[in-house]
Formats: sequence, C-alpha cells, structure tokens
Amino acid sequence: MRLNLVPVIYRKEILDTVRDRRTLISMVVVPIVAMPLLFFVIGHFMSSAERRAGEEAVTIAVRGGEALPGLLDLLKESGFRLASPEDIRAAMDNKQIAAWLEPAAAAGGATEIRIYADETRQASELAARKIQTALDRFKQDKITARLRSMGVSETVLKPFTVKRINIAPEKKMAGFFWGSLIGYMVVLLMFSGGMYPAIDMTAGEKERRTLEIFLSTPAGRNEIVLGKILATTSAVFVTALLSISSLLVSFRYSSFGKSSQRMKETIGRIPLDAQSLALVILALAPMAIMAASLMIAIALLAKSFKEAQSYLTPLVMAVVFPLVVGMLPGIQLTPLLALVPLFNVCQLIKEIFVGEFSWAAFAVTMLANLVYAGVAFFAAVRVFKDERVLFRT
Amino acid sequence: MIQAQNLSKIFVDRKRGKVKASDHVSFEVKEGEIFGLLGPNGAGKTTILRMLATVMRPSEGTATLGGYDIVKQPDQVRRRIGFLSGDMGLYHRLSPREILSFFGQLNGLTGPRLKDRIEEMVALLKMRDFADTKVDKLSTGMRQRVAIARTLIHDPPILILDEPAAGLDVPTARVIEEFILEARKSGKSILLSTHVMEEAEFLCDRMAVIHEGRVKIIGGMEELRAATGKQRLREIFMELLSLDGEFARRSGHAS
Repeated sequence: MRLNLVPVIYRKEILDTVRDRRTLISMVVVPIVAMPLLFFVIGHFMSSAERRAGEEAVTIAVRGGEALPGLLDLLKESGFRLASPEDIRAAMDNKQIAAWLEPAAAAGGATEIRIYADETRQASELAARKIQTALDRFKQDKITARLRSMGVSETVLKPFTVKRINIAPEKKMAGFFWGSLIGYMVVLLMFSGGMYPAIDMTAGEKERRTLEIFLSTPAGRNEIVLGKILATTSAVFVTALLSISSLLVSFRYSSFGKSSQRMKETIGRIPLDAQSLALVILALAPMAIMAASLMIAIALLAKSFKEAQSYLTPLVMAVVFPLVVGMLPGIQLTPLLALVPLFNVCQLIKEIFVGEFSWAAFAVTMLANLVYAGVAFFAAVRVFKDERVLFRT
Repeated sequence: MIQAQNLSKIFVDRKRGKVKASDHVSFEVKEGEIFGLLGPNGAGKTTILRMLATVMRPSEGTATLGGYDIVKQPDQVRRRIGFLSGDMGLYHRLSPREILSFFGQLNGLTGPRLKDRIEEMVALLKMRDFADTKVDKLSTGMRQRVAIARTLIHDPPILILDEPAAGLDVPTARVIEEFILEARKSGKSILLSTHVMEEAEFLCDRMAVIHEGRVKIIGGMEELRAATGKQRLREIFMELLSLDGEFARRSGHAS
C-alpha cells in the first residue's frame, strides 16, 4: 500500500467536495441555518401560544354560582373575568370562554363543583388548572375558618407536610439535557452531512465516468478507498462540530416564553469543560469512520447519484431507531449495550455530559465502534474491488 | 510493447446468461505503432481495453504491457499507461491545473518536476487561457485538450484510447488525431478502439476487427484488402462481419 498517495487523494476529494453546492448545503448550511431557525420558530410559537393561552384562559363562566356563597368573589379575586353567555356550550366552541364550572349536589349532601374544560385546548386546560388551584384554596379557607370557629388548630389536618427536593446539581441536569440532545442531533446530522459527499465520491464518480480513469492510475484500491473514507469522515466531522456549535449558540439566543425560563436557566449551564469535549470528540471518531465507510460502501453499489440517494435515505432514517432508544430515560450503558452501534455513542455522550460515565463503558464502546469501523472499512474496500459493482450496466 | 494472449472475459448476465465479451483475443502492438480495435457497438472493444488498463481482470488469458503482466503486476502496468476514453472523465469542479497536479502526483511526480511538467503540458496543448478555469465552464474542445494533457502528464510509453473521438465535431476530433499521430512520432505504442471506419483507415498502422468478442482478422489495410478482396475499409468490415449479404438483401427488398 502506498500511503503517500492517500493525502493526494484526500485533498482532491475535499477540494471536489467543497466545490459542490449540494454537499455544502447538507454539510454547512443545514446545521448553521436550520438549527437557529428551528429554535427561533419553536421559541416564537411557544411564547406566542403561551401568551395567547394566558389571555384566553382568563374568561370563564359559572353556572349556578349562587349556590356557593363567596365562590364568585373568589374567582374574581383570582383574576378571572366572569362571562354569562346564554349558551355556554356555544361560547366554549367559539372560544369566548376557556372553561366553565357548575356546582352540583353530590352524595351525602356535599357539593361537587364540576369544572368543564376542553383539554385539547391549551387555554382551556390552563384555565381548568387555575380554577382548580383557586378552588383548593377556597376549600382550605373554608376548612380553616370552620376549625377556628370550633377552636381547633388547623395543624390537626396536617400531621406532616411533604416537600420534594431535587439533589441533582444543576450542572447534572444540564448535562442530562445536553447529553441527550447532542448525542441524538449530532449523530443524525453526521449521517445526513456525510451522505452527499459519500455519494458524490462513489456513484457520482461512476456517473461522470471519472472512476475508470482514476482506477487505471498507480493508486491502488486500498489507497483510493482510504482517501475517500477519510474525506467523507472529515465531512461528517465538520457537520458534527458545526451542528454542536450552532445548537449551543441558537439555544443561548432564543426565547421560549416565561414558563420555560427556569428550564432555560438550568440547562443554560452548559457543562462543557475541555475534558468532556475531548472525550465527546474521541467517542465520535470511530463512529464517524464507521458512518463514512458504510455510506461509501452502500453508495458505491449504485450506478447513479439518484440511485445512491434512494439507498442511503432509508439508512439515515434507520439511524433514528437506536438513537430514540438512547433518548429514553432510565437506560444505562451496560457493557452489553455498549456493543450496540450508534446507541452506545449517544449514551456515552449523555453520560459524559452528566459526568457519570465509567471508563469500562467508554473502553467497550470505543473498542466496539473501532471494530465496526474496521468491518465497514473492509466492506467498502471489498465492494471497491468488485468489478461487477464498479462496471454495473 | 503490448502483447495480449488469449485474453478472455466472461460476464454473467441475468437475462442473457454467460456472455463472452472477449473470447481468446490475441494481438501485439509494437513500439511507435498505432493499433486499432475495430468493431460495432457491443463487440467487446471496451472490455479488452479495460482488461489491458488493469481496471478489469481477465477470466482467462493475460497480456503484458512493456514486459509487465496485467494480472500479476498491475501496479507496474498502470505506471506505464495513459488511458483516455471518449467521455473524457474529467472532474468538472476542478481546474485543468488541479487535474494535472492530481494525476501527476498519482503517477509519482512531485515538487518542481510536477510543476514543470504541468507547465509543459499547458504550453504544449495551448491551455494557458483556461488552465485555472473549472472544467465545468470549458468548451468540449478545451476539455478534450485537458483530457489529453492528463493522459500524457507522466509521459507514458503506452496509450490506451477508448473511442477517443466519439461524439466530437470535426475540428475537435482533429485535435485528437494530431495528438495520436504526434505520440506515434515520439515512439509510443498506441492502442485505440473505434467504430468509425474513416478514423481507423486514417490513423491505424494495423488493426484487429472484433465481432462478438472474437478477432476476425488482424493486419494493415493491404492485408485486409487482400484477404477480403474489397477496397474500402467499410466494405471490408461488413464483409468480415458477414452482414454484407444480409444488408444487400434487405436494401434490395426495400427497393
């Protein structure tokens, strides 16, 4: 093997790749533009929907409120605007009111207050929740007043109180969030970012009839495949780095409305020190080689760019499955699971971010992915040596 | 320089079963000679050239180029050949200089030697005006010159040309013909395939007529004339393919 030719081939592939508009779009424009756009659009919709829901949720109706003295005053105090439409159902459907409540007689002479809400409507759901809170306070006040009139302390009803405290440090919470998101997004984008370069270097070369000339030069098949895989790996890596950066930057400058402000503050503490970052990049390396080799091997089977696209698109979609499993909470990276490609990287990245990974899991993951990368690499070389594939007509 | 011995290639086609694209083909191309493979489309010319250029392995038989075996020493063979096909196979997003640099380096040229050789090619093929323009933007004639320069960048003693003038207009095809004649003058062995009779008659010192993977006859124009009793290559060709009789019958029927 003449290794000195590999950089020559690599440089040519990179030059050819960066001059291809299609590739540039999938590799650079998508991560840089799509991510902020996604965040901006989601943020915009979330905050405006929240605002609208907040405004809508204020207006409610009460049927037969007189039955319960003090109820109407309480609701007014709680900030509700009380409407009295003739047809309550129609008012609900026209979104003139967000919910309505109606006291009814229940068993044992007690009163049951029914809250009618349309839980598919955000405003209605929100109103119901607020009414519930107001009524709980109303009930509590009534109980307290009665106990006081009987000379009993209200602590009788509360032998103890319960408070839940989250001891996970905020850094860990942020790590969990970012680890899940970055693992998922980056791995997915790595595949989609490497797809066009991989196709262009294989099926594209076949289609443009340049491959035959290339193969008749002193460059051996191994050198050619290695050069192409390294170039695709670079594309995959550039996509990964661009998408991580873009993700972090867009997050920082987007807004999600008031209620998610706290969430934003928590996960805004991005737990990214040099060591974690280095480990994440290290963990991604064998996976990038595997992804590149796999896509090169598959795209090479095709006669044309279009055909290769139809082979690789399902692959990119299939990648989602192990990734989604990795997003589920409660899944730990056991040594056995560390053998599952893609899933293992996502999981490892999550654990690195949380700061709870074990070196054993890290080693198994790296080793397993290196083996997969090696297998994919040799598969690509094998396909490249198969003249039935190269000269398919 | 080129010696093909019983060169055979069998493809397994899903519809047609076993297809002999090349069936025990033997011929020899000497130094400073232009040798043509002449045959209709699908005769097996490209397969023969691909085997000689080491991009395809023969199913049987072998060949030596410059004394090196295509099966056992493909690396040595590749260093000594320049391969060009009618569709040129140029990287459209690279400039002529970049293409020449890439193929020069693949052939072991580096540093000042590479640079000098590129400039030499640029001057020789009059590419100065467009040497840094992407191939995408070049005319067919310009591209053809780039393809020739790429084939010659490492000054190979053997040229393998697969229908080099296919689909080109007369002036552009003329550039190719001049290049081929020039290469013969400098002592290179040239093997070219074509289905254009005029081209073969004009360029080739000797030729092999190929039909259905088999060599029908080998020789110069005089030998071909003597063997068939026909004057023009077109007639010789039809005679050899034994399509002549059928062709006459068909045209007679039509009138």
